[in-house]
Amino acid sequence: MAITDIPIFSMLRTRMQYSQERQRVLAENVANADTPNYRARDLKAPKFPDPTEMTTATTVSNISLTRTEGGHIGPLSGTGSSFSTDSKSGYEVRPTGNAVNLEDEMIKVAANQMDYQGATALYTRSLNLLKTALGKR
Amino acid sequence: MDFLKSMQIAASGLRAQAGRMRVISENIANADSTPARPGADPYRRKVASFTSEFDRALDARTVGVGKVAPDKSEFRLKYEPGHPAADANGNVKYPNVNPLVEMTDMRDAQRSYEANINVISATRRMLQRTLDILKA
Repeated sequence: MAITDIPIFSMLRTRMQYSQERQRVLAENVANADTPNYRARDLKAPKFPDPTEMTTATTVSNISLTRTEGGHIGPLSGTGSSFSTDSKSGYEVRPTGNAVNLEDEMIKVAANQMDYQGATALYTRSLNLLKTALGKR
Repeated sequence: MDFLKSMQIAASGLRAQAGRMRVISENIANADSTPARPGADPYRRKVASFTSEFDRALDARTVGVGKVAPDKSEFRLKYEPGHPAADANGNVKYPNVNPLVEMTDMRDAQRSYEANINVISATRRMLQRTLDILKA
């Protein structure tokens, strides 16, 4: 059994991937804070299966296309976004048609960073748990 | 790596705001540039606009300074008969630069620049956290 098959690790990995991708989307929003007709976007939080019904076989890894033949053209950019985007955010549109609220984005960046730090801290703790089981401490 | 992409997107924002700052500083520097010949037009204020461009390598929408267009508003007229650039009626055309507007624009550019810097440092801290897993 690979280490990534352990539910806690695969869930944390998904969470970290989500934070990474969300950071990219937020960076786009901030960079385009003065671009006319730009609408702020955000990612929807990933849905996790109920942990009480989860078995070790359940993995939360994302689904991707398989290339069954060498001649197949791969997706445009190695890893496509596996999380759905939410573009209805933004209640304030400026006369130029720009709907990026810089304060809002800053709060989201900070929250995203905290989420990520929480996930990495849990990951470290879980690794320590395994080490304890191995008797290396 | 998504974190490096985030940083590059924020860097494109920094570049765009710096370009806007350049245009603003040009405007402020030339706020009193009178015409060289009598009756000619003085410096015309420039306006920078941003365009969102899709970067295929990054798979994201980065930002860049688009066309720097001239401001079409009227020039300021001042009655100064002794000025070398005065026309037959003694009026001198001054640039259509309003220092107050430029200062506001400058603050806006500064604020956006700081926001992008903030994204970069947040991304950097997250990246650092990932490396900390290895140390555990």
